[in-house]
Order: sequence, then C-alpha cells, then structure tokens
Amino acid sequence: MMEAQKEVMSVSNVIETHNLCKRYGDALRVSHLNLTVPEGSVYGFLGPNGAGKSTTLKMLLGLVRPTEGAIRILGRPTDAASRLSVLRQVGSLIESPSYYGHLTGEENLRIVQTLRGVPEKHIREALQIVRLDGQRGKRVAHYSLGMKQRLGLAAALLGYPKLLILDEPTNGLDPAGIQEMRELIESLPERFGMTVVVSSHLLSEIDQMADTVGIIREGELMFQDTLETLHGRSRHHLALRTSNNAVARELLARQSISCEEEDGFLILPILSDELTAQLTRYLSENRLGVVRLEERQKSLEDIFLELTGKAASL
Amino acid sequence: MKLLKLEFFKCRRRKIALVCAAVLAAELLWFAIDLPRQDAEDLAQGWMLLFYNLALIDAIFLPISVAVIASRNCELEHKGAALKLLETMVTPGRLYITKLTWGALVLAALLSVRSAAFAAMGAAAHFSGDIPWGKFALFTVISWAVSMMVYALQQGLSLRFANQAVALVCGIFGSFVGVMSMLFPDWLVRCVPWGYYGLLSLARMDWDPDTRFTQFFWRWPEPLDVVLLLLFGALFFIVGRTLFVRKEV
Repeated sequence: MMEAQKEVMSVSNVIETHNLCKRYGDALRVSHLNLTVPEGSVYGFLGPNGAGKSTTLKMLLGLVRPTEGAIRILGRPTDAASRLSVLRQVGSLIESPSYYGHLTGEENLRIVQTLRGVPEKHIREALQIVRLDGQRGKRVAHYSLGMKQRLGLAAALLGYPKLLILDEPTNGLDPAGIQEMRELIESLPERFGMTVVVSSHLLSEIDQMADTVGIIREGELMFQDTLETLHGRSRHHLALRTSNNAVARELLARQSISCEEEDGFLILPILSDELTAQLTRYLSENRLGVVRLEERQKSLEDIFLELTGKAASL
Repeated sequence: MKLLKLEFFKCRRRKIALVCAAVLAAELLWFAIDLPRQDAEDLAQGWMLLFYNLALIDAIFLPISVAVIASRNCELEHKGAALKLLETMVTPGRLYITKLTWGALVLAALLSVRSAAFAAMGAAAHFSGDIPWGKFALFTVISWAVSMMVYALQQGLSLRFANQAVALVCGIFGSFVGVMSMLFPDWLVRCVPWGYYGLLSLARMDWDPDTRFTQFFWRWPEPLDVVLLLLFGALFFIVGRTLFVRKEV
C-alpha cells in the first residue's frame, strides 16, 4: 500500500487528494485515497465496476461530499467557497453524458458556454473537435448514444479547461467510436495543454491512452505510478514440466535454483541460454525427461488480476 | 439574471405556453358554462359571484396546473442527468432559487392574463357597476401567493423525485382537497395548503335555507391566514431547498 500510494515524481500535480474517504452507511466506498495526477498527463483511473471510481471523480467535482480528507485541484483547495472558481478550469463527463434532449446540440452547448462565460465561437470549435458540427441543429433526443457521448465531451471541452475529468467516456460507443475517442483523448495534452483523468474498467483501454495509472480496488488505491512502471512489473520467467516434477524440484534445489509449482509447471527465474542448456542436461542425466520448457511473461492482465482480484475487463 | 434567462432558454419546446393556455381555457370554459345557470338575483351581484367562482375554479384547477408547470420545468434536469453538469458550474442553492423565480414569473403572467380575461368576461356579461380593478389586482396577488406556496411544494417534489408521477399525484390530490376544503370549517382549511385558494377568497356566500336566497358579500383576508400562508410557503421552500442542496448527484 505504501508503495502503491507513493507520490508520482512530477514538477507539479494538477490533482492531489489526501486521505480521501467516502462512507455510505457502514460501507467505506472510498478509503484513504491519495491521488496525485501530474500536469500534462493522461491519468488512467482503473478499477473493476463498483471499485469507487465514479464516487472518487464525483468527489473531485464536488458532486459528492467526502466523509473525510482533502482535495487540491490546480493547486487550490476545493472547499465550498472556492469550488466553483476552481471548476471553471475543469471540464467533466461523469458516467453518462448530461444533456437536454428537447434542445439541439448547439443549444445544449450554449447553456454551458453561457454558464462558463466563454466566447461563443468555442461552441463551433468544440463541435468540430468532436465531429458533431454537421449535427448541431438536431435535437439531442434524436442523437445516437455515441453522438450524445461526443456532445458530452464537447461540453467538457468548452473553454479549453486545464483539466478534463472523463468517467468511462467510451461507454456505449462502437469500436470505431472507441478508437476515435481514444485518439482524441490521447491528443488533448499536446493539442491544448490539458491534463486528462480518464476512468475505465478496461485495462486495454487505459494501456493504450494513459501515461500514468491509478488502480483502485474496493475503494483502496492499489497502485499509482507511470504506465512504464506497471509494465516493468510484467517480469519474464521460465515454465518447466518434467516427467517427475517433485524429483526435478529437489534437483533444482540442490543447484540453488528456486522454483514454485503452478498448474503442473515449475516456475523458474529467467536463465541464460547456457544455464538453461546445462539444466536440461542435468535433468536428463538424472533420468528425468523434459516435457515442456517455455519462456513466459506476466501480462498486464495478470498484474491487474493480482492487484484487483478480478479479471481485466470486469 | 443570466441563470434566469437560461431557465427560459432551457424551457424552449417544453410547451409551457400551451399548458398555461389550457389552464386559462379550462377556467374560462368552466365559468362560461356556470354563468347561464345563475338566477337573476345572483347575476345582480355579478362581480361578487365572479370572485366567489374564481376562488372555486382556482382551487380546482391551479393545484394540478401548478404541479404540471413545476414538473415541466424540473423534469428536464432529470431526463438527461443534467444536474451532474450544471452543479459543476452553479451552486444547487442558486439553481433552486432560479427555478422558483422562473415559476413565479410564469405564474404571475398566467394569473395576470387570467384576471384580465375574467374582467373582460364580466364586462361582456354586463355585471352591474364598474370593473373592480383594485379587487382584481388584489385577487391576482392572492392567487399568485397561494400558487407560489403550492409551487414551492411541487418544485421540491419534482426535483427530489426523478419520477414525476409523485409530484403529479400530489397535484391531483391537491385539486381534490382544494375544492373539498371549501366545505370544511375554516380551522380545518388552515391545515390544508391547497385550501388557501378558498380561504383567502375576496367574496363569500351566505345561503339562507329558509328564504333559499343566496347572499354574496365582500371580505378581506384574515391576517392570520396570510401569516399561515407565508409560513407554509417558507416551510416548503426551506425543506425543498435543503433536500435539493443536500442531494448528491
């Protein structure tokens, strides 16, 4: 836990939470969360359904009151007095897109533009960014789910906020839409200097667009660091199966090679080619047949499974 | 002001004007049907008869109408989960007051037009005497005040519950209780929010069972009733606003 919650080394953090908790009745949905989101990053907030991702993001936006803890966004505390002025520089899309179905896409954005006090031209620009400019005169009730999602993103982008908080933005999109959304999110830090926090329950999605990752399970932050560090955990190893694994294990112990048995395989640390050749020779000299010898790598999914106790796309 | 303008902007295509027109048409139709049934003595007291009937008509139509207007305005926030976005730009407290102000303006417009239409109807029916503009103005203010008290209740319900059936059933119940309360003694009517339409009526009726003669008379609203009306309004506003502000979206 201490390792998981260590601060990401960065020049400045756009979001910092300290000991953030949310309790509903007896259930602690978010437990002592210390998030640090570096400026200019795409921060992937990963966790299985019900892990506390949305509750955490809502707390960042002041839509849900924390039971305990403190939040700093863009260097400022988000208490009742300063919340709205801080959020002027934050765009958000939480769970499903917010919209007025009886109004057109452009009229929906006009409401956000008026409330944010940003120039009117930003409406067109936001619609162009999400490729909805051709549908701006259509009532949102007649939009597809993907179009509503893109409108939600356009609303979040209005005024080019410094921070964008997106909760499962690819929900309900078809594969092409997911790809498009992913590319758009990836491009935001470079194009507009934004920092993006994007939550998902899909490891593959976060793997493709984030550079910093926070993994949450049952309200607890299990990992927080760069994606590179997470990949670094996926170590290589050898998997060996012999005609008698029990005897092989004793022989390996005599040679000071540690191993564990897993699903009928002996899992060994990675060895050089020379050592591997010596090992197989040594086993055959002791009348043991080598049935399988594989080099394996722990996948990100395995790591996710270890950290969350659930399958990677649950 | 910006928020209030946006509130009207958001209500585009919500057919609020149509709802108001329907309320007005129903009230006028009710009175137009009722008028020819009145005997000569009643018609001789034309304006008092009109104000007495207006209080009755309000008690029947306004509780449900106010519920529908509040629901049309609040439902749109639930439908597209708009509060999640709105509350990152404006405090829920300000949003609640803006919506209430919107309702106040819509009801003021509706009831002003309503009073003007009934004044015209009275004049067309050749009621004796000049049009009592002062009484029309006072009655409009009373109708508006009672409607705002009911609106505060309805807005609280419409924002609290996404399912608008809760608020609309309350409105239907209010219409039923409102008209029935005119048969209750005053002390009981004071306990019923929708009963204030009749309780604060400017004209009352005295029916003599021996002579079978109906006598209308003017009256001023009791100060106690006005105070109770304000207390009901304040209670509904404070409870509704507190529940809305505390609600996590």
